[in-house]
Amino acid sequence: MSLLNVRVQPRTETRPAPARRLRAVTAPAGLRRPKLAYAALAVGGALAIGAAQMIVSLASTQDAFALAKLNNQQHELSLQKQALGDELVALNSPQALATRADAMGLVVAGAASYLRLSDGAVLGAGDAASWVSTVTPNGPTKVGNALLAPPPAASTETPADGAGAEGSTADGVPADGAPAADSTAQDAATQSDLPPAITDGLPSPTTR
Amino acid sequence: MTTRATRGTRRRTVVALAVILAVLSAFVFRLIDIQVVHADDNVAASLSKLGGSSPVPGARGDIVDEDGTVLASDAFVYDAQLDPKLIADYEKQTDPKKKPKMPWSEASEKIAAIVGMTGDDVRKLVSDALAKNPNSQYAKLKNGLSTEKYLALRDLGLAYIANKARAIRVYPNGAVAGNIVGFLNGEGKAQYGIERMDQQCLAATNGSISYKRGQGGVRIPGSERIVGAVDGGTVKLTIDSDLNWYLQQMIAEQAQRLGAKAATATVVEVKTGKIRAAAEYPSVDPNNVNTVAPEYWRSHIFSDAYEPGSTFKAITAATVIDQGKATPLSTMTVRSREKFPNGTVINDAFPHPVYNYTLAGALIDSSNVGLSKFGTTVDQTTRADYLKRFGVSQKTAIGFPAEQSGTLPRGRDGKVLDPAKWDGATKYTTTFGQAFTVTPAQIAGAYQAIANDGKKIDLSLVESCTDADGTVHKATAPQSEQIIKPETAAAVRQMLENVAVQGGNAKTTKVDGYRIGLKTGTAEKSNGQGGYKKGVFFTSMVGIAPIEDPQYVVVVTLDEPTKMRSSAANAAAFQQAMTQVLKTYHVPPSSEPMGPLLPKFN
Repeated sequence: MSLLNVRVQPRTETRPAPARRLRAVTAPAGLRRPKLAYAALAVGGALAIGAAQMIVSLASTQDAFALAKLNNQQHELSLQKQALGDELVALNSPQALATRADAMGLVVAGAASYLRLSDGAVLGAGDAASWVSTVTPNGPTKVGNALLAPPPAASTETPADGAGAEGSTADGVPADGAPAADSTAQDAATQSDLPPAITDGLPSPTTR
Repeated sequence: MTTRATRGTRRRTVVALAVILAVLSAFVFRLIDIQVVHADDNVAASLSKLGGSSPVPGARGDIVDEDGTVLASDAFVYDAQLDPKLIADYEKQTDPKKKPKMPWSEASEKIAAIVGMTGDDVRKLVSDALAKNPNSQYAKLKNGLSTEKYLALRDLGLAYIANKARAIRVYPNGAVAGNIVGFLNGEGKAQYGIERMDQQCLAATNGSISYKRGQGGVRIPGSERIVGAVDGGTVKLTIDSDLNWYLQQMIAEQAQRLGAKAATATVVEVKTGKIRAAAEYPSVDPNNVNTVAPEYWRSHIFSDAYEPGSTFKAITAATVIDQGKATPLSTMTVRSREKFPNGTVINDAFPHPVYNYTLAGALIDSSNVGLSKFGTTVDQTTRADYLKRFGVSQKTAIGFPAEQSGTLPRGRDGKVLDPAKWDGATKYTTTFGQAFTVTPAQIAGAYQAIANDGKKIDLSLVESCTDADGTVHKATAPQSEQIIKPETAAAVRQMLENVAVQGGNAKTTKVDGYRIGLKTGTAEKSNGQGGYKKGVFFTSMVGIAPIEDPQYVVVVTLDEPTKMRSSAANAAAFQQAMTQVLKTYHVPPSSEPMGPLLPKFN
């Protein structure tokens, strides 16, 4: 008795009395028992999806924790780097280095000499550097550096950290026993004995 | 089959649909209104209640020297503060579970040891704050703590200490090139030097972090949106900081030895026009500018224009030779005191008989009369033009903050005179470096042209700007101009070498192994009332080495040396500066011997 039925009825017929057809209601067909497999599949699927989602979300949370931990670690390390950098700052400034070097007896020499490899000629000043520095970094005049405000006590620190290294770097050079003019000759003598290795590197003059 | 019933059903359906549609369209309309038309306003309105944002400061860029040594950089310090109320509450706490493990008496001692105070001081800070206001939550512990101390404080694990990070500017090399690097003011605004000149490169762009807040103002995790800050770029200078340190140390010692008020040393690379060192005494330490008087906060190399004196006799010689009016061997009859046709009397610095000076001889003896006679063979307009070509009255291309341009001769009204109208003394004094002013940087620039075969290259101080992402922006290439003929420059250099060898400072300025050329200058200082200060001078010495293949120009100036008042005062400083420059840059020693000496007289 759908509307569709009504539409397809021809209208020409003049009101035929609708026949009332009565019949007994048939008993509804007994519901078929649903197959357990489908239900199990659906429920199982839902559970599987739920479980998978949980695993994925757990994994991502875990990663988030790992990420946070690493971030923390990085922050911590950069703080430490910063702290160490703070200690170094200004220590590598030319003023600080010169002050220390001067305290250890090093000098800023005058003009340089050059050895020409092709013929072994000495160019430039040609004489040994003097024991007198051209500037005195530990004198009354200093190039300022507020970061060095408590000036690095070169005299106290040098033996402390220089003691170990001194043996290896400064062998032959008198430790700091007033390197006066008379030691120049002795020093020059040891120097001239030293460098057989350098002569190996010099190209020998070719004679024809 | 249209019955009343079915027709009624249809009408009901239509009405119901219409109502539903009407309601639906009302909702759709509202939805579009909210989601599309006013979306932005609504989001903003919601964020203002739900979210917050805070700026993420970027770090200002570094300033580094020629080989990457950091001259200026950003660093963090920490301001530590205490919460007195919390401390008091903890002390009153009786529940052992809620009481901190470390009692205040012990904690205060540990805090004191870290920040460098005594335990009593720290306890007094807190008790004072509580006495003033029992609910006080703020007591300043100490500002400007280093990261190391901050970490130590933090590791105490005390809830009542708060540390706030603050960016500060650090200049690891202190006063080395301090006047060039410049400094910031307390608010971090660039005040002077490269800091100011290259502000655009150095400045950082701040980022921001925005987030949403849950109940009680807690940040909702995962809601943060971070717009990263862009750090400032790195400015690379042409300066060599080690050389600069040496020169600063050396001229400071020399200035004190000679009782001078101030001194400068400038080094320019001949082939590129790059300033390799700009040393000054007194020099400002940008870490703490108050260590020197404010007038030395600026760079005198760029901001001090003075009458150069005899160093510009070489420029007059170049003008005369370039114009073909003389050669190094042309001669003039020169008295030590001469009255010129317009009545001007010019004196030489020393009395001498009437000499038949060559141009070279006039330069060697630095004769004012001699140069007046040679110089005036060229007309005044041309001479002024040559002075301008050599850089007089024009700022260097560097554009240093507060740089002076110097000026050509000015009249009584302060206006620059038409060169054709230079009269009286001006007509002659302009030939030996008076009546016009230049800065030490301009002198270096003028001699660079002579050293570089007449090709003047704009001076430069900045090599490049490197963005935070690593993009390197080279500074604009310097302009160059051939201002005199190469032969002229060679002739002037030959004369300058003769000045070095035959002049009065020959022994004191000799640089072992190198042939150099130089010229001294003793300038009178204006007293600000149209006259000159009595008995005090601004002495200078300019040199080129090696003269046969010029590599470096060195300018050394002393302001009012008192122990030795002539330009000979500069000899020792100049000699040491030149020696160090040649050593630093491994300039090969001169191998060809000098040509025959030029005769002084004829």
